[in-house]
Amino acid sequence: MLKMKYRLLPVIIGLATLSSCKKEFLELNPPTSLTPSQALGSEGDLQVALRGVYSGLRNVDYYGRTFPILGDILSDNTYQSSQNTNRYTLFNNYSFNVTDGNVAGLWNAAYTVILRANNIINSELTASPGVNQYKGEAYALRALAYFDLVRYFARPYNDNPSALGVPIVTTYNPDLKPARNTVQEVYNQIKSDLTQAYSLMTQFTNSSQFSKYAARALEAKVLLTMGDYANAKTAALDVINNGGFSVVPAASYVSYWTNPAIETSKGETLLEVSSDAVNNLAFDALGYLYSQGGNYGDLLVSEELYALMETGDVRRNLYPTGNRPAGVPAIFVEKYPSIVGDRDDTKVLRMSEVYLIAAEASYRTGSEPDALMYLNYIRTRRNATPSTATGAALLDDIIEERRIELAFEGDRYHDLQRLMLPVSRSANYPSSARTIEYSNFRRVLPIPQGEIDANPNIRTQQNPGY
Amino acid sequence: MRKFLTLLLGVLLFSVQVLAQTRTITGKVTDANGVPISGASVQVKGTNVGTVTQEDGTFSLSVAPTARTLTISAVGQTAREVNIGTQTNFTVTLQAGGQQNLQEVVVVGYGTQKRADLTGAVATVKAADIENKPFTSVDKALQGQVAGLQSVAASGQPGSTQAILIRGVSSITASNAPLWVIDGIPINTGDASRLSTTSNLLSTLNPNDIESISVLKDAASQSIYGSRAANGVIVVTTKRGRAGKTRFRFDTEVGKSDIAYRNERYRPLNADEYFTITREGLVNLGLSAAQQNTTLTGLGLGNGVDFNWLDATTRRAGQQQYNLSAEGGNERTTFYISGGYFEQEGTTINSKLRRTSGNFRINHKVSERVNFGMNMNGGFVNQRAPLAGGAFGNPVLSSYFTLPSRNPYNADGSYNLNATSLGGLHNTIALSELDKRYLREFSLRGNIFVEIGILQGLNFRSSFSGDFNNLEEDQYNNPFHGDGQASNGRAFAYYTRYMNKVWTNTLRYNRALNQSGDFNLNAQIGYEAQKSSGYFSSLQSQGFPPTFRLTYPSAGATPITANATISDYSFVSQFASANFNYQNRFVVSGSFRRDGSSRFGGNNRYGNFWSVGASWNIDREGFMQGLDLFSQLKLRTSYGVNGNAGIGNYDWLPLYGYGANYNGQPGSIPTNVGDSSLTWELNKPFNVGIDFGILRNRINVTADFYTRKSEDLLLDVPLSRTTGFSTATRNIGAMKNTGFEFAINAIPVQNRNFNWIVDLNFATNKNEILSLPEGNDIIQGSFILREGESINSFYLRDYAGVDPANGDPLWYLTDDKSTTTNNYSSAARVIAGTSLPKYFGSFTNTFNYKGISLEAQLYYNYGNYVQDPWGGYYVGAGFGATYNKVARVLERWQKPGDVTDIPKYIANGNKSFQSGSTFYLAKGDFIRLRNIQLGYNLPKDFISKISLTNAFIYVRGTNLATWATDENLPWDPEQGTASQSNLNVFIPKTVTIGLNVGF
Repeated sequence: MLKMKYRLLPVIIGLATLSSCKKEFLELNPPTSLTPSQALGSEGDLQVALRGVYSGLRNVDYYGRTFPILGDILSDNTYQSSQNTNRYTLFNNYSFNVTDGNVAGLWNAAYTVILRANNIINSELTASPGVNQYKGEAYALRALAYFDLVRYFARPYNDNPSALGVPIVTTYNPDLKPARNTVQEVYNQIKSDLTQAYSLMTQFTNSSQFSKYAARALEAKVLLTMGDYANAKTAALDVINNGGFSVVPAASYVSYWTNPAIETSKGETLLEVSSDAVNNLAFDALGYLYSQGGNYGDLLVSEELYALMETGDVRRNLYPTGNRPAGVPAIFVEKYPSIVGDRDDTKVLRMSEVYLIAAEASYRTGSEPDALMYLNYIRTRRNATPSTATGAALLDDIIEERRIELAFEGDRYHDLQRLMLPVSRSANYPSSARTIEYSNFRRVLPIPQGEIDANPNIRTQQNPGY
Repeated sequence: MRKFLTLLLGVLLFSVQVLAQTRTITGKVTDANGVPISGASVQVKGTNVGTVTQEDGTFSLSVAPTARTLTISAVGQTAREVNIGTQTNFTVTLQAGGQQNLQEVVVVGYGTQKRADLTGAVATVKAADIENKPFTSVDKALQGQVAGLQSVAASGQPGSTQAILIRGVSSITASNAPLWVIDGIPINTGDASRLSTTSNLLSTLNPNDIESISVLKDAASQSIYGSRAANGVIVVTTKRGRAGKTRFRFDTEVGKSDIAYRNERYRPLNADEYFTITREGLVNLGLSAAQQNTTLTGLGLGNGVDFNWLDATTRRAGQQQYNLSAEGGNERTTFYISGGYFEQEGTTINSKLRRTSGNFRINHKVSERVNFGMNMNGGFVNQRAPLAGGAFGNPVLSSYFTLPSRNPYNADGSYNLNATSLGGLHNTIALSELDKRYLREFSLRGNIFVEIGILQGLNFRSSFSGDFNNLEEDQYNNPFHGDGQASNGRAFAYYTRYMNKVWTNTLRYNRALNQSGDFNLNAQIGYEAQKSSGYFSSLQSQGFPPTFRLTYPSAGATPITANATISDYSFVSQFASANFNYQNRFVVSGSFRRDGSSRFGGNNRYGNFWSVGASWNIDREGFMQGLDLFSQLKLRTSYGVNGNAGIGNYDWLPLYGYGANYNGQPGSIPTNVGDSSLTWELNKPFNVGIDFGILRNRINVTADFYTRKSEDLLLDVPLSRTTGFSTATRNIGAMKNTGFEFAINAIPVQNRNFNWIVDLNFATNKNEILSLPEGNDIIQGSFILREGESINSFYLRDYAGVDPANGDPLWYLTDDKSTTTNNYSSAARVIAGTSLPKYFGSFTNTFNYKGISLEAQLYYNYGNYVQDPWGGYYVGAGFGATYNKVARVLERWQKPGDVTDIPKYIANGNKSFQSGSTFYLAKGDFIRLRNIQLGYNLPKDFISKISLTNAFIYVRGTNLATWATDENLPWDPEQGTASQSNLNVFIPKTVTIGLNVGF
């Protein structure tokens, strides 16, 4: 006979089972994430989300590495050593195609920044100085991302404003399949965002975040790129006269580049993308491709660029000479030497460039004395002989000064684009890729295959030639 | 559910009346050696009145006065029939044998069934087929054992994951891995490591501790596991003790392994060959003679070094295992205890696995109606796996990429740690010693249960199980050279823990429904709750002192990572199943399960899954009694619905994640699109099968046809990147798998001294995508998802060979192959075959002559393609000029008129030839000598003199030969189910010798 205690056991277990069958057993929340409404619920949350936008700039295919490198390797400043790790080879050779990983990475990273910025801009929190500042920075960040996209994936504004630009997305909707907007529409969006940014921002946090005058400097660059020289000059002078930033002098020029820390008070840097000892790209960082201190060091200074710098020019100190591979003379880039510990930040906007914008805008608007003044303001602070040129030669000097001052910061290619000039490269480059006419289809990047595959509305809008 | 309970109660009352007129018989069942057999089925012939034997082999059964014959059957034994007469106590001895015998008892979901009662497709694997094999986990040993179960390796790393597909791929985004149930516990499986290149939780389970494996392939057998059954269920039962004299068993095997497959056209070039072709590449690039010389000198021309990196990073590897077990007990208490040690080296330097394992089980019978028991199975694995894929620290990569002119050693014999003199690559020979990558994996699977017979035929069982996995991973990269150089040395310590708890309660009812025993019911209801808790902590520090001796994160100056988090999931389920049998001629079955899971949103948290099945044992029909041809003949069919919940734990939630920090301050970013109505992916399998035995079971055949449709696929739908996301998981799309499976077991020759047994299995599977969001193609890397096509279809630009005039690579411009282009970007992509085989299976011959046995198993696979994603670097026409190349580039175009498929060699590449195309795709057809074993059973009269009960010695070869049909297949044909090679540790072939003794 079955003992009573054993008969009772199933009953006890049954009761225990029923009582354990609570609803909470199936309600498990993620430990390190929040829903969007929880994550963007207060002013403090908005500030945290804003840092997330900046961290998106550090992506390896954006300001982390690819964006600044393409600007110099697609032009005539840097070339790939024959001893290399196969990074950016196809850009050195002008043979990249629609499946290129760096191109897709750049597209994705910029739009990721745009999404993150959109969520802050579209926050419905009550306005306050803090909320305004964060929204202002988000507007400026969105403008920057669109400016970068439209310059790489479309022909320049002054070629044809009604040509295809890039899709404008200003609200979050995961099912959106946007077609490309025109270049004009993209620039309108950029300008409107920068106007908002300028009016909303009141604080300077440090050089790694947008401030009112950093947004104004970006506007000056945007206007210069569009060929709106009068307004470009106004914007640049607003920064020079009212911004409180200053150009780094010759004496501290080299230390300016060797110090990886951000600037906590206003100095040369209007905006840079921060990499520190913890949050960095390790051996995927920008410096790793230029510095000879690590395993890579693939990219070298073109002889032609080096020759433009006078012997006494303080900038020459950043470009030591040596051999790579053994027996082959080479010039190295030491602008990003901090490849361990706190890493180099990527400069986005500097006061020196604002002066050069003022110089070019002055020249274009018929004020050669102003142009010369702003140009030589920089040259004298680099221990370079002041220019005395006039007319077209003065413009050449200004463009050349941009090339020297902003070398390895990703700027040169965009100058050649807006000026619609051929890329003329020295014998450092492969013979098949020494002259790249403005009309060459690879002068704009392909819309990435992944976007074409996922977005039917952009499928017929690939850049010609790809 | 309530209705079902009422029915059950009614049945109970009814059956109590029946009881009165029966009498009780008892007995004991043993095998040929006199060892009691537990779990054997004892049944009154022609009825479903029956029981199973206890741990000590005894049984007790109430039978009707009309009962004439008992049928006794057990796993792996030939069934016997015994006359009842007036006898009340029986001793029955069963003989081994009887593949797929219909009287065999088969482990199924939540219990056992006689094969005759099955309505579903269930394949079984015996212990003998998986014991003592040179494989690190049981999933690897399953290759070729079961028709329709595809088991594919991707790496030869000991302890690596193994992909298992049962009846094809049913999900695009969610998991396609089967559910593993070990001793009733739905366990966590797969690769749980976070630093190691590959690992496998099953590698902590010693295959020698396994008694039987059942593979549940259709709705009738699977659906009782509800939402996790869609990819098939593998039910593993570990060994249990049998009563009697304490018996010991010792098994050992030692051997050596080498690379299983090599293609001479993919050997790395030596220094002369490399410099010859590179000079040609530089000439073709347009460099002057002086420029050529400086470049080549930079690459090491004339430095007198010609080092073979492949030979130096691979090796003949060792292999050994030792297993000892003891079992015994008495009629009330039985035990089984075992311990094992296993060690295997990979064919790549410093790739290794060691396992120490143990298994313990005790069962105790309190009374005729109450018994309880527990079992515990644990294993500790210590694994070292090199980097894989494109990592510079990967020894396999370096053996193909590093130039033969680069010397790993300095003149004084010390390691060369100068990156520049290694061409920017890593000295993997040095790093394999100076750096470390360790995984220590510990698993414990335990179960404690009590079973109570409430009434005759009504049993209650409650079982509590736990599955605990603990992974400790250590990595150190030295500050001088390699991955640690950039950070002045770095070290990681990761801790991962999974605690999975399951509580299962079942009420089982097994009775004849009328006096004659014509109608029998076997039913159960159950409740199960499961929670798996994951806990993860990660830390990393950088900035190490300049020594190789300090390798733990404590020695680093800068803390970089300091993370800890959790990830949990839970399931609550109610289930029921019933099996209704009429005269053993007709069987109908049904199952139902309702699952709730934390993985889905409040709207769709619960799902209902069910199955129906039927079988007809035609050989039991009167009209068959005169026919001697068929010893067995059975038809069966089933249909049902089950589910797949194999997605991330929180995928349904729209999320902002943290950790996107900036300037040392916290940052948050959107991380998941989410979908609050996300729910189960459905799988609807239909199966029809036949089992028959002819010529007194000399030939046994099982054949199945199936079609299974998956709906509401959990699919990562690609988004426009302009939204800031690349994919979102949605329930959308449908897919179908259709296939045919065939297994034959035949004994062409059988006499007193010699027999010859043939086993053949064959399976086809055809996958078809039925619907996708808005009918649009989805392109995922090298693959396309397109309606009407198979999943895992390669979608690549179609390589058209080399232009004989100028050596340019050509691709077809359109998919009709009418015109070619040398512009890669403008070439059309085409579907170029799939990564999944059209058919696969195995063919085994076993010969026994007196004590000598010879067994040979061939595994075959046909109809898939294998991609070599890294080929552009070592075959590309000059791309990656500073890396070494393989012999195939020597076939390059050299002068107008040359006909070849390798373009003109130009340093840095010739027109995107290196980019993905059908050139880098090879046919994956192969036949492999999976197992060949020659053994000798030492004569009984000899071994009894040394107090042994049995002794068997053997020599075995594993993967000894591989025949591939495509001469351009670069690497081993087994490259996972995606068939994409990734410069992994080479899959080994192994020769071992072994000894099994019992005493």
